[in-house]
Parts: sequence; structure tokens; C-alpha cells
Amino acid sequence: MDLSDLDDTDLLRMIAQERHDALSELYDRYGRLVYSLAFHILGDGESAEEVTQDVFWRVWEKAETYRAEQARVSTWLTSIARNRAIDVFRQRRVRPEGQSISWGMLTPNSVPKVEGRTPEEIADRTLVNNQLKEAISSLPAEQRSALILAFFYGYSHSQIAEKLQEPLGTVKTRIRMAVIKLRGLLKE
Amino acid sequence: MVRETHIVEDLPGYVLGCLEAEEVVRVEEHLKGCKTCRDELAAFQEVSAWLAASLVQNDPPERVKRELMARVETAGLQKIHEREKNSWWMRMVTGFRQVSSAWGAVSLALILALGVSNLFLWRQVQELRSLQDESLPVVPLSGTEVMPGATGIIIISRDGRHGTLVVDQLPELGDESDYQLWLIRDGQRTSGAVFSVGEDGYGAAYVSSPDPLISYASFGVTIEPKGGSAEPTGDKVLGGDL
Repeated sequence: MDLSDLDDTDLLRMIAQERHDALSELYDRYGRLVYSLAFHILGDGESAEEVTQDVFWRVWEKAETYRAEQARVSTWLTSIARNRAIDVFRQRRVRPEGQSISWGMLTPNSVPKVEGRTPEEIADRTLVNNQLKEAISSLPAEQRSALILAFFYGYSHSQIAEKLQEPLGTVKTRIRMAVIKLRGLLKE
Repeated sequence: MVRETHIVEDLPGYVLGCLEAEEVVRVEEHLKGCKTCRDELAAFQEVSAWLAASLVQNDPPERVKRELMARVETAGLQKIHEREKNSWWMRMVTGFRQVSSAWGAVSLALILALGVSNLFLWRQVQELRSLQDESLPVVPLSGTEVMPGATGIIIISRDGRHGTLVVDQLPELGDESDYQLWLIRDGQRTSGAVFSVGEDGYGAAYVSSPDPLISYASFGVTIEPKGGSAEPTGDKVLGGDL
């Protein structure tokens, strides 16, 4: 049976019925997306491979929990992948006091670099959607920095507040406003 | 008037994974019972998905899929093996071999009694499905396209006020979900029971209703957040008409 014509929701129903071929088809559709997201967060292929397997294994075990009315399959998968990648990131990455990267006196326009690149540089090189790049560029600098640290680095609110030396409430507000603005642009 | 509280302000941070552990617990507890916030969450998740889909993408090595499918295959074979090992007959044989004392003999007698009564009950359910003119009304339930293999039955008391729901071949749900029985009349849905099933997909529940069960035209079972919902929100898995 050719499953390539089935929509994602039907595939998940079949996966819930333990159809191996349906899982294989879903992997063919979204394995690249999941792997790439994990790779961008974790920075190494081996970890990204592990997360990719974990994500699709979870799909295999929990397919019956998917709710089509709550999210598209790709959105659901992205959410699982990102959460898993951030979990791995937080378990494996330790940031000691007095680390080699010089935080210095941080301002909204001067944020931590990773491997010599600023978050904006990372975002610019890793995002291929020009509309999204423009949307992020249109955010106030403070919101942009906080969003990129959250999305690309997987930092928590408190970690971002520490890195940017801003109050926790301020960071929460900036991230919230950034996501709300992007949500508005997405609707358009 | 009780004002509803929502956690919409926390959702962007939740979607991006920025919340602390205790905040995540609070948000997830709230989401279980709040459709408004679940709808908002879905919209914010689209933003995260948009960001993810816009990243430069690379193919994973082929071995990732190969190892995944091998793992799935192995898990499937293991499940079959476990089912055979744990079949009620094998449990009885194993139990018999282990008996070596008076207490063991009593246990064996109990196991036999339970096994026989289980078999009797299941045969009774099977027979009731085909009954047309018995004094106890029965409502057979059939699986929907979501769960075509599922099956069930509602046995209604003689006075029509109470019932027993028995289901089979439904997958065991995770910690966040339950099955819920709905009593349907004139387009209105009333909750009749919230229940779960065991690993073997079999479950039973007492059905209660403000009105006699025989006054309802049809019945349905859906998947809902843990503890049930005020109205159906999830996929329908079983349905039947009185």
C-alpha cells in the first residue's frame, strides 16, 4: 500500500495501530526536520541522531495521544523534538562560573557569543525563510536577543536574565512580546 | 461570579522551553482542564514550528532510521512474547507448578475460580451482544474509524436507571488522558462515566445518569484529558444507538 498519499493525521492513526510502514513514512517526511532542529540546538550530529530516534520512538509509543484539533502533526513533532533536544542540552552542557567566554558587561546589543558568533549571526546563517528573518529583524533588539537565546540555545528565563543581566520579569515580557509579534505575522 | 483564570502569558515561555520545572507542572495542570489556553498554546506552537521549519536542514545518516525500525520490530516481537507468556492459561500452569503448601493450594483454588468466572463473564458479554428480547436492554458499541477494532457494550438495569459499560480492544492511554462515556439525547451530551483500560485493552465502568439510561438515544466514548471533560473534546472511539 502506497502511504505517500495519506495525510499526516491518517499516518498517525495507523501508527497507533502499530503499522510499521506508517512510522517509516512519517520518518521519511519529517526525519530531516527533526534532525536539523536537534542539530541546531545541540551542535553535534551524534546527539542530534539520538534525539531524532527518541522523538520517533515516542511517536511510536504515544501516537494515540495526538489530537488533530490541537496542532498539525508537524507542529506536534517539532514540539516533541525541541523539548527533547533542550532536555539533552541541559543535561549535558554545564556552564561553570568564570567560563572561557567573556560575558563582560552585557547590553541588549551585546550578547553571549557561541563559537565566535553572536545569536543574530547564528540566526542569520541558519534561517532560510527570508520572511521570518525579516520578522525577527523587525523585533526590538532586546526582544530579538531574548528570543534567539531561548529558541537557539534552549536557555530558561532565569538563564537569559543572568546572561543579559536583566530582571527576570523583563526577560519574560520580552520573550512573550516577541512570540506574540511573530504569531501576528504568521497569521498574516 | 467566578472569574476564569488563564495562563496565556506563560504559554510563549512554555512553548520555547523557558519555564522552570515547577512552572511547567503548573501550566500543564491548567492546560488539562482549559480549552481556551490549549487553543492559545496551539497558536504559539505554530510560531515555534515556523522557526524550526525555517532552519537550514540536513539529512540524518541512514542508520538513524535503520536503528529506529529495528527497535520497533524488536519491541513488537517482545510484546507478542509477553502476551503469550502472560496468557491466563500460562499463568494458571505456572501457578500450579509453584504450589507446594496449603496456602498454595488455596491460592490455586482462587486462581481457578477467578479464571472460570472471568471466562464465564466474557462469554456472557459475548452472548448479550446478540440478544434482542431479553429483559435487560443492551447497547452494543462499535469502533469508529479512529479505533476500528474497539468494541463494547452497555448493559442497562431493568429499571433503566443504571448501567455497566464493558469495553475491549482499546489502547491503554497515557497519564494525561482518560476515556469518557457520553449519553446523547437531542444533540446534548451528558457524561456517564470516566474510565481507563488495562494493558490488555479491557475495561469496565459503572454508568450513572441524572435520567434513566433508556431515555437516551445513543452513546459514545471519546478520549479526554485526565478526569474527563465537561463536553466531548477528543476523538470518538466507540458509538452505538439504543
